Amino acid sequence: MSGRARQEVNGVEPAYRVVAVPAAVALGAVGAIAAQHANVPWILGALAGAVAAMLGVLALPSIPTRRATVVLLGLGGLAALRHASFAGHDWSGLLVIWAAATMLTLVLVDRADAEMVPELDGGSPLPSRARETARVGALVSLIVIVAAVAMVPSVTSRLGRRVWPGASPTSGDQSSSASSLQSSNELSLTSRPRLSNTVVFTVDASHADFWRGETFDIYNGSSWTSSFGFGNGEYRRLFHSGPSVDIPPTPDDHAQNNGVDFRQTYRIEAGYSDVLFAAPNARVVETDKNPLLRAPDGTLRLANPAEPPSWRIASQGFGSGAVYTVTSRSLPVTEEMLREAKGDPPAAVTEQYAQVPVTTQRVIDLARSVTAGATNTYDRVKALENWLGDNTQYSLNAPLSPRGVDVVDDFLFHSRLGWCEQIASSLVVMARSAGIPARLVTGFVPGSRDALTGRFVVRERDAHAWAEIYFPGIGWQGFDPTSSVPLAGDVKSSGSWLSDIRHNAVPLAILAVMLVIIAAALPEVLAARRRRRARRESWSAEALHRLERAGRKAGRARAPSETPREYAHVLAERLGDDRLVEVGATLDTALYSARGAPDEARERADAVLTSL
Amino acid sequence: MTAATSVNGEPPVAADRGPGAALRGTQAHQGPGDLTLTSIVLFTLGAYGVAAGAATGQEAVVAVGIFAFTLFGIGIVWPIISLSRLDVTVGAPTDATVGDTVFLHVDVHGRAPRADIRALDPPGQWWRTAVPGAGTLPHAAVRRGVFGSVRVQLRTSAPLGVFVRTRTLRVDLGAPITVAPRPAAAPAVLHLVPEERVATGAALFTRGSGDTVRSVRPYSPGDPARLVHWPTSARLGEIVVREHEPPPERGVALVVDLRGPRPETAASLAAGIGAATLAAGGVVWCGTCEGGVPVGELVANGRELGRRLARAGAGEPARPPEGWPIEMVKA
Repeated sequence: MSGRARQEVNGVEPAYRVVAVPAAVALGAVGAIAAQHANVPWILGALAGAVAAMLGVLALPSIPTRRATVVLLGLGGLAALRHASFAGHDWSGLLVIWAAATMLTLVLVDRADAEMVPELDGGSPLPSRARETARVGALVSLIVIVAAVAMVPSVTSRLGRRVWPGASPTSGDQSSSASSLQSSNELSLTSRPRLSNTVVFTVDASHADFWRGETFDIYNGSSWTSSFGFGNGEYRRLFHSGPSVDIPPTPDDHAQNNGVDFRQTYRIEAGYSDVLFAAPNARVVETDKNPLLRAPDGTLRLANPAEPPSWRIASQGFGSGAVYTVTSRSLPVTEEMLREAKGDPPAAVTEQYAQVPVTTQRVIDLARSVTAGATNTYDRVKALENWLGDNTQYSLNAPLSPRGVDVVDDFLFHSRLGWCEQIASSLVVMARSAGIPARLVTGFVPGSRDALTGRFVVRERDAHAWAEIYFPGIGWQGFDPTSSVPLAGDVKSSGSWLSDIRHNAVPLAILAVMLVIIAAALPEVLAARRRRRARRESWSAEALHRLERAGRKAGRARAPSETPREYAHVLAERLGDDRLVEVGATLDTALYSARGAPDEARERADAVLTSL
Repeated sequence: MTAATSVNGEPPVAADRGPGAALRGTQAHQGPGDLTLTSIVLFTLGAYGVAAGAATGQEAVVAVGIFAFTLFGIGIVWPIISLSRLDVTVGAPTDATVGDTVFLHVDVHGRAPRADIRALDPPGQWWRTAVPGAGTLPHAAVRRGVFGSVRVQLRTSAPLGVFVRTRTLRVDLGAPITVAPRPAAAPAVLHLVPEERVATGAALFTRGSGDTVRSVRPYSPGDPARLVHWPTSARLGEIVVREHEPPPERGVALVVDLRGPRPETAASLAAGIGAATLAAGGVVWCGTCEGGVPVGELVANGRELGRRLARAGAGEPARPPEGWPIEMVKA
């Protein structure tokens, strides 16, 4: 306020000095986010932000502290907006710290401004700064949490885009992109995959699912390939003139008529991707890319997988910031449904996916012996998964199979240590050995769910391989044998405590609303009770008030110099009611006597006043 | 209590309330508010965050925008609600003089983190207070007249300093405050006043003893010995004392005509003349016009004179009885 924040030129008023602390925390949090975004140690960014805040608040006495602080917070807010995207790490915790510190800074700055105004002579002092800050901070925090939880998803869904072109990728983006993001006709089991924490894309979806990329059906002992040929017309080019394109269902897709729609919006964070990831059985794709390539297995790409990556045109793929939306449709299945699936698979499925694979005899014998006791496809697959879980271990540091050795044989009988590719390959090979149609699928696991926004954050390290098994009358169902395999001890799991908050957002929001109402109403309720108690204790004030009201109605108001006894006398004459004389005497006794008026006298006076 | 008239046309206020002269604010005028730099910053962050985040599908950016917008909304709504629930009672002295600082006892009722308060007419300094709270608010009495109410202003920007809400209240006083004109430097005016004033029943102002012997009376214990009239005492055989005529009264009839370009100067001059005359031992009769009605009477002291002049307005003043020396004061 103009003329309100007065500062001595020689220094900052003590009331403002405390503002420096939350301001430093706020800018420190934003600095940490910005540092990580720039691949700089977060501590440097945090220190830079904190020092900038301290200098701004404490070392600029010629500028009103309020103005300097607000400008600093504004710059911090812009930095938070700039770096709030997902580009490596989860910023949720730091953004929450920034938000809380910003709010506290504003509260303290306003309180400091108030303390600069001279106090009313003989007036009541302000409540302690800590108490006011805590109370206000708690209320405002609850309101902000409720608003964020309630409005962020709806605002994004109402205003957000389902399709966005993003940056145009360059050949450099293409060459540096992970192999899991580029369509390929071959998956080698003899090379170690590149896994990092780099965020490759995020997904806005109502629930988790595996983000399916490609399938492979031919195993040669060391790698998987796909039997679909681009040149023989098995791939279909889907052109569209509108914002969306319908994906024709595959012949073995039983969900096309009875399935449940599941919508996902993907935002690419990596520099390049030509695989269109989606939950199984994509039906509608909304994208600006044209055309899409659809494989016979229903998977979608933007480039010919048979072409070497160097031949592909980079701009045809998705670049950073590109957004597309997929609507998938799948049958809601249960274990019982899978167990009861009867009949023979279609001949084409059997021919392509159920032939005995190229592997060692002992692998085939193992598969048949493990599944001998099961009576249906589901139980046989679960038996294979259980065997893998009991006899193998998951490790990213597992040794590569020697050259010329069957990878599945080496994994099952020698190393018994591997990652998802070996484990899933083993399940597919053993399932086929047992006559079960199976294929290998690559893509990404759901990833971690961001606490603030609810989006699934998918990183390079979330690249995964799993198996799909065909069930007659139901279709292809995914099985993840890696989840059955225990960790080898060198694998760390990750999770976010904030994710739990997000998952329980609705009940927390309800609780927050209730707390806000209680916190806002409780002081009023307590004050009202104190007022009622005060009124009960002051009988004489209440009785005098009633006497005066009766007198006003009779046209004779009480003069300030009149005692209650005198006034009651006058009213007694005016109204012709001698009982008022006693009422006046009782009031005088209650007001001025040390003992107060007896209860009987009070009751009689009350009765008289009520009768008036 | 008699209803007080007012110079500026305010309706009289009948004090028929309970103990104490303070009354609650009855007429509230919703004042404006001011947005601060903080509001601009928050609104900008909110708009940019929501627009950019929604456009690019980045919910974290939207969350930052929503946070800023929420603070913006809270910062505007909170002070509006907290000020709207406040009420003020004011207690004031009954008399003052133009130029004096009047100390108003203010009671702020309600519930809010804090608030600033100041008196208006003229606008005074801001003072902070807790709510509920009470204190003494200095206010300059700059206008002559009788005032049944005062205007106070409340403001707050708590808790976020986004929006400064101001609210003006007109608070009725239980007993009107009479602001008398400040006496200007003026000489006393002492002329002989007619003795018929005695017959009218007006108060007798006997000061000291005159020179003319009016009669004798029997001695009463305590009479000065020098007043004993020995010849008469010897003749009568009892001690008698002289009784003197009271000294002739001196004073002036102030006729204050405020029809003119400088009514306040005239009122101050009249107050100065009256005060000087009273201080010199004279009697003062004051004739003014109150509410269009000529009013004139003797004033016993400076306070009564001040009150008379506080109520005076433009109009034909009352004329003194026959024989009074008139001192006309015109605006």
